[in-house]
Amino acid sequence: MSNREKTDAAVRPDRPLAELWHMFFANKAAVLGLVLWLLVITTAVFGLTIHPGDPFAMVGAPMTPPGEEFLLGTDYLGRDVLTGIIHGASVTLAIGFSATVCTAIIGVTIGVLAGYYGRWVDNLLMRVTEFFQVLPPMLFVMVLISLFTPSIYLIVLAIAVVSWTGMARLARAEFLKIKEMEYVKAERAMGARNASIMAKVILPNALPPLIVAIALNVGTAILFEAALSFLGLGDPNAFSWGYMIGSSREYIWDSWWTITFPGFAIFLTVLGVSLVGDGLNDALNPKLREL
Amino acid sequence: MAAFNPGFAEPQRGGDLVHIYSQFPPHFNSGIKSGATLYAGASNIFVGLVEINENFEAEPYLAKSWEISDDGLSYTFHLEEGTEFHDGTPVTSKDVAFSLFVSKENHPFGPSMFGAVDRIDTPDDHTVVIRLKNPHPALLYSVCIPLLPILPEHVYGPDNGPIRDNPANIQAIGSGPFKMVEYVPGKSYILERNENFMRPGQPYLDRYIGIKNSSASGSVIALSQGQAHGWSFVGDPHTVDRLRKEENLFVTSQGYQGIGETAFIEFNLRKKYTGDPKVRQAIAYAIDDDFITQKMHLGVTSKATGPIHSSSPFYTAEVNQYAVDLEKANQLLDEAGYARQDNGMRFTLNLTYQPGVDWEQKNIAEYMKPQLKKIGIDINLVPPADFQDWYQQVAAWDHDMTANNNFSWSDPVIGVYRMVMSTNIKNRVWTNTSGYINMEVDRLLNAAAVETDMQKRRDLYVEFQKILAQDLPVYFTVQSNFHSAYNKELMNTPTGIYGAIGAMHSVYWKNGKAP
Repeated sequence: MSNREKTDAAVRPDRPLAELWHMFFANKAAVLGLVLWLLVITTAVFGLTIHPGDPFAMVGAPMTPPGEEFLLGTDYLGRDVLTGIIHGASVTLAIGFSATVCTAIIGVTIGVLAGYYGRWVDNLLMRVTEFFQVLPPMLFVMVLISLFTPSIYLIVLAIAVVSWTGMARLARAEFLKIKEMEYVKAERAMGARNASIMAKVILPNALPPLIVAIALNVGTAILFEAALSFLGLGDPNAFSWGYMIGSSREYIWDSWWTITFPGFAIFLTVLGVSLVGDGLNDALNPKLREL
Repeated sequence: MAAFNPGFAEPQRGGDLVHIYSQFPPHFNSGIKSGATLYAGASNIFVGLVEINENFEAEPYLAKSWEISDDGLSYTFHLEEGTEFHDGTPVTSKDVAFSLFVSKENHPFGPSMFGAVDRIDTPDDHTVVIRLKNPHPALLYSVCIPLLPILPEHVYGPDNGPIRDNPANIQAIGSGPFKMVEYVPGKSYILERNENFMRPGQPYLDRYIGIKNSSASGSVIALSQGQAHGWSFVGDPHTVDRLRKEENLFVTSQGYQGIGETAFIEFNLRKKYTGDPKVRQAIAYAIDDDFITQKMHLGVTSKATGPIHSSSPFYTAEVNQYAVDLEKANQLLDEAGYARQDNGMRFTLNLTYQPGVDWEQKNIAEYMKPQLKKIGIDINLVPPADFQDWYQQVAAWDHDMTANNNFSWSDPVIGVYRMVMSTNIKNRVWTNTSGYINMEVDRLLNAAAVETDMQKRRDLYVEFQKILAQDLPVYFTVQSNFHSAYNKELMNTPTGIYGAIGAMHSVYWKNGKAP
């Protein structure tokens, strides 16, 4: 990309997307994050066609160290760690994404309603939000899961239930600010209905900070699931990275590889999420960066 | 490796023994409650009429001798004279009679241990005659320590209020080798040498200190560094393996025969699939016991074939053991009419497991998921959130299958009957929760309970074990073979069938103090 193009993009606000990508790709850390992301997603999508296998299948002697036979070794039941990591990528990503979608739906809906309608709606919804905010999230999730039988759906839901508050506060703040803008007032003066103003006018303008929050939330959700599995509250029918670590943790003295490799996978994924999130933040809110 | 550290030369006096337990006793009155750590404390504070040695023979303890009438209906015990409780009052036959009735009425095993007791005569202070309604060969196994602690009546009697609320359950007063000094709930307790113990010179140790440490790694380190000197009920094979590598420890599986732990997969016979004997047999044929005991458990556990532990005199291996045979398993399921569907699976079963003993519960349940997939059974693991969650699920008979375990204790009457008798189908765990009803089994067990001829009694139990292996209300997987680790300088550690929770009266330090 030449210097001329760079200046062009910067001075042509009519092409916001191009400007966004430009700033994003100028950020080396963000690009690294994106590469990590693509790596994980590729693993999740194509991994099993390259290295097929059932992660639950016992294919060798238990606790075989990494080597020729099994690249990353086997765990305490003789399950291949590499198959587990490849299979676990899709499970872990699925949990991360679906928990984030749920979080965003709950959080944004409540934040939007509170911010837009204000008064008693705002009061009521914010008291509810505060109620959820003061509960320690990890404990709250553990209680929710202990009440029912752990399953992958329950875990996704529980993660969403404890992490939507930040998203709600952010959405509310944006809506409070934007709803007083001239163009919103103009829209209202022209007779647009509330739903249409919220969805078509305010929301698109409130999106940049929300996108960053959503991107970062994927990482939090993955860590949450890993922590739950580590504590033995995961779903043993879903072969996630967290499950691999949690179930093998007793055997770290005897087989370091069963914990190290999935732990590394989680580390890289969450690092990728964070870097992409920060990159987006810088690109979407350039003024913040100058501060 | 020596099975135990036999003493040599003269026993030395002195030194403390710090013993690690992964759980902590709520009190020490083993006359009203069961529990391994509770028993361990009780054995040191109280005495029983007899002790049971490693060959399942009764040896004199408080009772220096006894006679059994020819009809097996009356047992006469002659007590040691001049023995005192820790508060200085003499131990009399009245205290023995009182203690037996406390156990009969309050202990969970009370009915099976002492249900046959009609009355107790105490002709003098040192003679106890137990008269039975019917022969009860398990009696000698029931009057041993820790199952029957001899309690002082003036401390635990009805004059002191309800026995369950008696503060002496914690500040216990017995006549055993050690006296209660300090009890810190959930952490530790300290027992001190009883200088008036009935055996002159014993005990040799100054103090016995029980501490709670629920972390396996922490316990290994404490033992290897000499901060603690004993650790019992180590079941996890990898931990046992680590202990064996420590230079200053010796590790033994002696002292657990009386506990007789077996692990199994329990089927709920009320459910459609698990109610079908062919399905149960197919599952039994699909499980590779060698893989579990040798590969997963490094040879620390061994194959269990029935509810009676292999160390019991009533055990037999002559039953159908279901050596792994996937072809046969598939064939049985085909015969039963459960054809494979398009996805290759026949049906789905829920499998839960008891939390807290992962190596023989969770890990075996996890093993079954891919293993049963090979014969077309889709296993849905139902992880319990905690012990209570598992308890409720099984007690409500909601499960298809659960991994579970059982302590058979010293006599089948105490620990085995409860899980197979049709009269014990209850909404509680460690009863007949699979809902197994076989009148022939009931008949055999009832006959064996009153059979005084050892050989005939054994024959009845052999027959019972064969039937159970055929009916398969539960499929036995492994005998856990708990281990104890002791400091190598600790001599004469207890070896009887209750050795792991036994009295430390004969134990001493090689050099009279902890290294």
